[in-house]
Amino acid sequence: MASTFPSDDHAAPIVIVGAGQAGGMAARCLREVGYRGAVIIVGDEAHLPYERPPLSKAVLADEQVPDVSLMPASFYAEHGIDLKTGTRAIRLDADRRQVELEDGAILSFSSCLLATGGRARQLPLCAGAAAAVHTLRTLDDALRLREAMRTANSVLIIGGGFLGLEIASTARMRGLEAMLVEQAPQLLERALPPLLSRWLGERAAAHGVQLHLNASLASLSEDAGGVRAVLGDGATLRADLAVVAVGLAPEVTLAREAGLRIDAHNGGIVVDAHCRTSAASVFAAGDCTSRPHAATGALVRLESWQNANEQARIAAAAMLGIDTAPAATPWFWTDQFGCNVQMLGHRDPALDYYVRGTLPSGCESGKALLFGVREGRLEHVVAINAGGDLRAFRDAVDQPLACAPQALCDPDAPAKQLARLALGRART
Amino acid sequence: MNWTRIATVGEVGDDEGLAIKLEGRDLALFRSNGEFFVTDNICTHQYALLTDGYVEDGCVECPLHQALFDLRTGEAKCAPATQPIKVYPVKVEDDGIYVSLG
Repeated sequence: MASTFPSDDHAAPIVIVGAGQAGGMAARCLREVGYRGAVIIVGDEAHLPYERPPLSKAVLADEQVPDVSLMPASFYAEHGIDLKTGTRAIRLDADRRQVELEDGAILSFSSCLLATGGRARQLPLCAGAAAAVHTLRTLDDALRLREAMRTANSVLIIGGGFLGLEIASTARMRGLEAMLVEQAPQLLERALPPLLSRWLGERAAAHGVQLHLNASLASLSEDAGGVRAVLGDGATLRADLAVVAVGLAPEVTLAREAGLRIDAHNGGIVVDAHCRTSAASVFAAGDCTSRPHAATGALVRLESWQNANEQARIAAAAMLGIDTAPAATPWFWTDQFGCNVQMLGHRDPALDYYVRGTLPSGCESGKALLFGVREGRLEHVVAINAGGDLRAFRDAVDQPLACAPQALCDPDAPAKQLARLALGRART
Repeated sequence: MNWTRIATVGEVGDDEGLAIKLEGRDLALFRSNGEFFVTDNICTHQYALLTDGYVEDGCVECPLHQALFDLRTGEAKCAPATQPIKVYPVKVEDDGIYVSLG
């Protein structure tokens, strides 16, 4: 195929810093749209780009470690992508369009994509208990935790977010005793409506997780090869190992030192809807970005597999100056305690929720959809074991609702029919 | 070819799927744009029944993680799936739908 981009053959390479979901996908997208110029990916991990969602589930639980590669190993050479793993970029010079590597090499670029992801937040009070205290962000983290779980009988999880709950679920699946400490009064308060937070907590408890909500951590120390935690109310918990799952700090060192605009509130690299940073020729994608909310324009940082893929696609097109569809409605999933929970759109405390179906209690299975509505607009849909039904509502999110929200709760009408009703496209 | 009758035309609506067990296999019968397709029913990415998924324009989207498969070729059209699903020859005679497992 003839080159369709004028500067393909002579221009400096496109340099992608970060070899995760966003970095790997961006390289793939560049080739998919026909770019034939040089592409270099620089990643500080030793592994080929891989998917992170299985790290807290199959990688910890399966008998054999599953292959989590984003693309087959042969993909990069076959597509002329120069993948430098185990290589750290230490400096970005946006004006001179150069990236400097740890070994002193200088890479000139036509465009640079920062896909630097983030690091697991640490708790300062864990310093003395390092050997038995884990975090989970990278494949190496997961392999280390998997190994530790083989001989442990109990695990203490600090943080009741998606990651902490998935680890608790996996630990119970492997027969470990699981304790979870969360400082908020409810699980996942910012991501889910109270009804679902309570349900998830009950579900975790029914699967044998000891939940400590509204609990601060006063200390975490080493104890006979394991860990001992003292909570704010004086209670003491002992476990063979601990996992700190208290969120992600976006990795923005290169961007900050290069003078790029950083979001003071969420710490991400500020980008526009085309993944452009405040510096010409420098783009950013994935967990490290702070990006505009499609409906409100407010800057948000989305840590998700889908956002990494979407921004990779958009950044690739923007670097080449070609058009592409805007980012899809944010979508996120979690698999825990026998349930697949999917979320579409943005959660906001001001939303009123309407439920179709029944939330499966205890250890039962069952399907439900929840519709989050504000002022006649559908803004958030949550599916419990009903991903196919959720999908029907993709076009209806962030749109005015053409029916009463209660009408969406009809358990007998197919989801597609309800989605048409929501959009005012009901067949007569 | 050995044809086995698996359903009647009226049993599956447009852009819908029907789970079928045949000779120990989990199969999926789909109807999209008036045409019938039979594929394996288990997603190649992770265990999920594709008949619980979303059917549109000759493709099915997995209910778990939105992997997309072409019903005619079985091709995995988007991440997270990379492996195709198996597809089987189908014929419609009168109101009967027949599949050949080969």
